[in-house]
Amino acid sequence: MIDSLYIAWRYLAFNKARTATLIGCVTLLAVLPLSLDLLLAQSERELRSRAELTPLLLGAKGSALDLVMNGLYFGDEVPELVSMASVSAIDDAGLATPIPLYVRFHAREFPIVGTTIDYVDFRGLEVAQGRLPALLGEAVVGAEVADRLGISAGDSLLSSPETVFDLAGVYPLKMRVTGIMKPSDTPDDRAVFVDVKTTWIVQGLVHGHEDLTRTDDTSVVIERSGANVVASAKLVEYTEITEANIDSFHFHGDPEAYPLTAVVVVPHDDKSATILRGRYLDGETPHQLVVPGEVIDGLLATIFRIKQVLDAVILVVGFATVLALALVFALSIRLRQREIETVFRIGGSRSTIARLLAAEIFIILVASASLSIVVSLIVHHYSGELVRAFFIR
Amino acid sequence: MKRSSFIVLFYCLFLLLFSLLYFWSSVADAKVRPTVYVVNYPLMYFAQRIAGDHAQVVLPVPEDVDPAFWKPDAAAVERFQHADLILLNGAGYAKWVSRASLPRRKLVDTSAAFHDRYIATEGGATHSHGREGEHSHAGTAFTTWLDFTQAAEQAKSIRDALSRLTPEHKDEFAANYRALESDLLDLDARLSAISSRRPAPPIIASHPVYQYMARRYALDLKSVMWEPDAMPNDAEWKNFVELHQRYPADLMLWEAAPAPDIAERLRKLGVQSTVFNPCGNRPENGDFMSIMNANIEYLQRNFAH
Repeated sequence: MIDSLYIAWRYLAFNKARTATLIGCVTLLAVLPLSLDLLLAQSERELRSRAELTPLLLGAKGSALDLVMNGLYFGDEVPELVSMASVSAIDDAGLATPIPLYVRFHAREFPIVGTTIDYVDFRGLEVAQGRLPALLGEAVVGAEVADRLGISAGDSLLSSPETVFDLAGVYPLKMRVTGIMKPSDTPDDRAVFVDVKTTWIVQGLVHGHEDLTRTDDTSVVIERSGANVVASAKLVEYTEITEANIDSFHFHGDPEAYPLTAVVVVPHDDKSATILRGRYLDGETPHQLVVPGEVIDGLLATIFRIKQVLDAVILVVGFATVLALALVFALSIRLRQREIETVFRIGGSRSTIARLLAAEIFIILVASASLSIVVSLIVHHYSGELVRAFFIR
Repeated sequence: MKRSSFIVLFYCLFLLLFSLLYFWSSVADAKVRPTVYVVNYPLMYFAQRIAGDHAQVVLPVPEDVDPAFWKPDAAAVERFQHADLILLNGAGYAKWVSRASLPRRKLVDTSAAFHDRYIATEGGATHSHGREGEHSHAGTAFTTWLDFTQAAEQAKSIRDALSRLTPEHKDEFAANYRALESDLLDLDARLSAISSRRPAPPIIASHPVYQYMARRYALDLKSVMWEPDAMPNDAEWKNFVELHQRYPADLMLWEAAPAPDIAERLRKLGVQSTVFNPCGNRPENGDFMSIMNANIEYLQRNFAH
């Protein structure tokens, strides 16, 4: 047997390209469904665990999936906006703790999550270095953001403009990084956390500039009439919040009308949750109060239907590949006719030929299996990162 | 071992055991006592009266700074973040709150119950620039507690917040609140009685901080912007004289005793100075009640005069 394996090994080693192709085909055949299963299982775990830890999510009526993907996983699709008044309404009801979320802007490719300190406690996040934001313009970044951008507490981070074509739009805000979060293996690792008021500064709803009632610069003041001052476009709004200018930052209009993408609602108990859900079932209300777990269940059901189709496709492709491999072997036997005749002439039997071919197949299968296990282990190890990088974003 | 040595050793062990027990009980007590951070002294006083020993009430503002205009640094805000409860005055008091990141679930706006009765302050310049259009920075009068019925409402919201925080002491908080409410309503009755004289005599205030008091107690009051320890300049005196001609007040209210030369010059103009301390920060002597009692006595004396 050892002799057969040795001869088969020498043959395979001599025909490197053919051997590599065969091993590659068999490996792919095994790795594809295995990796897909691993990644889907990881997606399901990540989606479910975060959804189950978020009791209720309030947002504007529209796509519940967009709302959940943005509110829980900081997805790029921004849902219809709600206002701060919806947070006050939850507060006034006295049935739950509302946590506002405004996930619309980015710093480099990472989402800026405007919220309150309550979010950190709610998600059980911990600061690894530095401290949480205390003042306007301060940010604390997730572990992955810090790692990828190479920043630490004390550094600065610029917000990215929403669109490069909005030349007259709001200037990027230079945020001071006050801390780095511990890794949590959740989308929070990829987020830049700021106070919700800081996101309104990024949007330009809250801003700071020199005191127009005191300036003597005639090129800044176009007109003074009574108690009103009209400024020109030369008026520079501050793009960084410092101790010296923080007092000049002010709200325009009613802060209750300021926008949010979602509100995490944490009911005091089951009864409060039921009462609240009942209140938002009314067709007249512009809001929807969803249970993220239910929305994610719907999404997973769709994913698993797609997976079934994929499985069928893989099965057909696999069958075709097996047929192709059989053909390759059959053709290789014909090509090796002279070799086989030589084996017969030197006294080899039919069973010897069969043993040699079996040994070749065995070596190819063992090599493919080993490679498949290695690739699967790598996929398994990085499944969290892969899922967060390619699926949940 | 001699008998005397044994007695000494016994006493030492007893003292050690007692100290350990005392330390343990102190630590245990410190652990369960929630920390309540407040933004001004009236709230601190109300919270201390209602909570008694069941909460540690902290006003982190230095004694020589007006809490309404205090600017905390990041470290001070961080201490607020770690509190169990944060009592705000509301009505735009302590503007730093709007520029800080505080946990919403710990915040209690003690004047929210009467937010529809806030008084908008005059004189805010409007300006326009960019695409937002015209807007004003006019504010809200914030010395809400000088209307003692409002102060009682603020105390009530503190009672409710403390009861939510430590429900096991709810009854004690309710009893303490009733005593405080009674004291506040007594102040209200006394001030109402003083100001019931009709027609109300005109009064000038050194600072625009008495709006709620003027509304509640029907005081005919106009304000200037003077500091008790800074002699007004010539222009300010000129404006004052013009105001005094149109508005012949013979009494001026100060947040603190004015410098003698200011008081003397006012007296020459026929204006008597009296102190009505809003007590926004901890007083050097006494407490909120004693300061308010003194305020009312001064006012009573001047009104009688």
